[in-house]
Amino acid sequence: MEAVAVYSDADATAAHVRTADTAIRLGPSEPAQSYLRIDALVDAAVASGAEAVHPGYGFLSERATFAQAVEEAGLVFIGPPPAVIAALGDKLAARRIARAADVPHVPGTLEAIPVDRPDQLEAVISAAAGIGFPLLVKAAAGGGGRGIRRVVSADELPAALLAGSREAAATFGDGAVYLEREILPARHIEVQLLGDTTGQVIALGERDCSTQRRHQKLIEETPAPGLTETERRRLHAMAVRLGMAAGLQNAATVEFLYDRDGAFWFLEVNTRLQVEHPVTELVSGIDLVVEQFRLAAGEPLSRRVLAAADRAARPTSHAIEIRISAEDPARVFAPAPGLITRWVMPAGPGIRVDTAVEAGDRVPPDYDPLICKVVVHAADRPAALARLRRAIDETEIGGIQTTLPFHRAMLAEPGFVDASALATTWVEAHWDGPASRARAVRVALIAAGLAELGGAATERPSPAAAAAEAAPTGADAVVRGLDGVGPEGGDRAWRSAGRVRAMDRWPR
Amino acid sequence: MTHERRDGPPTTIAGPTRDAGQPMVPDGPIDPRAVRVGVAASARLEGDPAITVSPPPDAAALLPHDVDTGLVLPLIDGAATAVRLERFGDVRAGLVESAAGPPGGGARTDLQLGPVRVDPGHGTRLREVVVDGWRIEVELEFERRAVLRERARRGAGVAARGGPVEVRAIIPGRVVAVSVVVGDSVDAGQQILVVEAMKMQNELRAPREGSVQRVGVAIGDTIEVGDLLVIIH
Repeated sequence: MEAVAVYSDADATAAHVRTADTAIRLGPSEPAQSYLRIDALVDAAVASGAEAVHPGYGFLSERATFAQAVEEAGLVFIGPPPAVIAALGDKLAARRIARAADVPHVPGTLEAIPVDRPDQLEAVISAAAGIGFPLLVKAAAGGGGRGIRRVVSADELPAALLAGSREAAATFGDGAVYLEREILPARHIEVQLLGDTTGQVIALGERDCSTQRRHQKLIEETPAPGLTETERRRLHAMAVRLGMAAGLQNAATVEFLYDRDGAFWFLEVNTRLQVEHPVTELVSGIDLVVEQFRLAAGEPLSRRVLAAADRAARPTSHAIEIRISAEDPARVFAPAPGLITRWVMPAGPGIRVDTAVEAGDRVPPDYDPLICKVVVHAADRPAALARLRRAIDETEIGGIQTTLPFHRAMLAEPGFVDASALATTWVEAHWDGPASRARAVRVALIAAGLAELGGAATERPSPAAAAAEAAPTGADAVVRGLDGVGPEGGDRAWRSAGRVRAMDRWPR
Repeated sequence: MTHERRDGPPTTIAGPTRDAGQPMVPDGPIDPRAVRVGVAASARLEGDPAITVSPPPDAAALLPHDVDTGLVLPLIDGAATAVRLERFGDVRAGLVESAAGPPGGGARTDLQLGPVRVDPGHGTRLREVVVDGWRIEVELEFERRAVLRERARRGAGVAARGGPVEVRAIIPGRVVAVSVVVGDSVDAGQQILVVEAMKMQNELRAPREGSVQRVGVAIGDTIEVGDLLVIIH
């Protein structure tokens, strides 16, 4: 099988472009002019002679119109049929499918709120009171945490509905909104499904993705800690029922909230491969992408997959994934793109690294900040945690700030280690990035100061680098004039006086 | 990897205890090779975590060359902390903060040192240090240099406010050229004299435009830091 890559100008030298048999440029860096252009993607597929299109994750991977366009061009779309993507992509339709399949959905409305009918406001408020406050106003076309508003009381509701509907119309092209109970505290547990063209759907186990921030997952693992085999069978059966009711084929993930009383509540379906699919691959032994290709080619679920599904309620190993992103965990996970100057990845038994960057690469500001997934696999959760600690110790990234300190800190967090504090709200409630960073700053300042005292003369920048600098002006220029003075350089003279001052240059 | 967990607040701005009674920036002439002051006060530093690292009082030459030792000077009082940086090649190192003990012992925090760069503006040295995944850009400057820079900046501040400006020597040396005479009009940045120090010629430039009111030195004069050179009105 040959691979054809597509790329924007920002990715012209990216790993997927270098390693593919053929690579086709889509357009400039802006997603709207490249990766979101259905016509350009279909043209590239047709022109290259491709037979099938894998949408990956992100961008158009859950866009029914894209799947439709691929099929209309005579190619195979590797994913569920366009009609299934469309039905499950409408969160209200998905909730109705869940109810028809006897799968409990998060309590709330099943039809769009008539926001343009003031005469029905009383009925809406009464329905809201039945659901209970605080509740969420959600966009039917949203998903993945987008298009959600939290409402604390009934008087906030009318304004929230109007604003939510306007925002949904602007963002998703569909102003339909509905109400949903806010379930707190809750864990996020999702089930991996595979389905074939005969209507057979199986579950390949679940994933706990509770460690997230604003619906962006940070750590995922399988199996979900603490579930009994009975709970697991019940959960998998619910997801399979929903998948079959929706006519699911290929791969999808059904997301649930798991509350403190042990109840599972259906949230939404992702009709694509998930970022966190490697943990399922490691524990099930199934290559999900290969299975996607087979299923898209019309093959039935393989014996290997069926056997793995039979084992899924009684997992015999554990896998954990951390998402290393170019984000600053001391500054509310703000994007931190830039040039990677050092890149050392962990290795060894039970360690998998999914990445496409290396030292010398620039993380562009244009796209998602995820740059690497480190995934560990071991006999049980404690062994996997120990392996992950070791893997993080081996990982060295320089030049950009990443989420690595967050992951390191989580592995020392008792409530994460014993799984007792797993909750979707944990990070926002407890993570103190600046405090974690402050401890590291002290070490960094002392270390850099000592290195300066001990070896400054041998580590001067090259004359060429110094010459390339902008000319200093004013007061600094006079002192700069002394830096290069004398046979051994000015820093030797400075050092003769002893002390060095070290300070944190972090912009604040 | 932190081999021993450390908690509690970080040490912030530090200065040497033995100079506690001295002004942050000394007034009057100073010899740049004999500067012995603490952290220079500057607006840029206020509120920034900064520390001062001092060489150990004993002979560091006895230690292996891949171990750097020193003292972290405390903010107000209390004892300086002995620290040790064990180097494993150019990039990897481990910081030991316990006082004594042989290399290889003690609680060690692993870290990675990036290459040294020079800040194009201030000429201070910058080094990326990665500790526990945190990427910290450290700005480094020997204290005597920081003090000179502070003095130069204060002079520049006066110049910007107008009125007569006294141009004083900020380096010691010998005057090898005087480019202006009393009554000359000068532009900001125009060369006014050249001082040779440590076999290098350094141009001194007018801090602002004006007319030369007084020239206090002549070719061949030996000057010390703080000597009045020129007054520009």
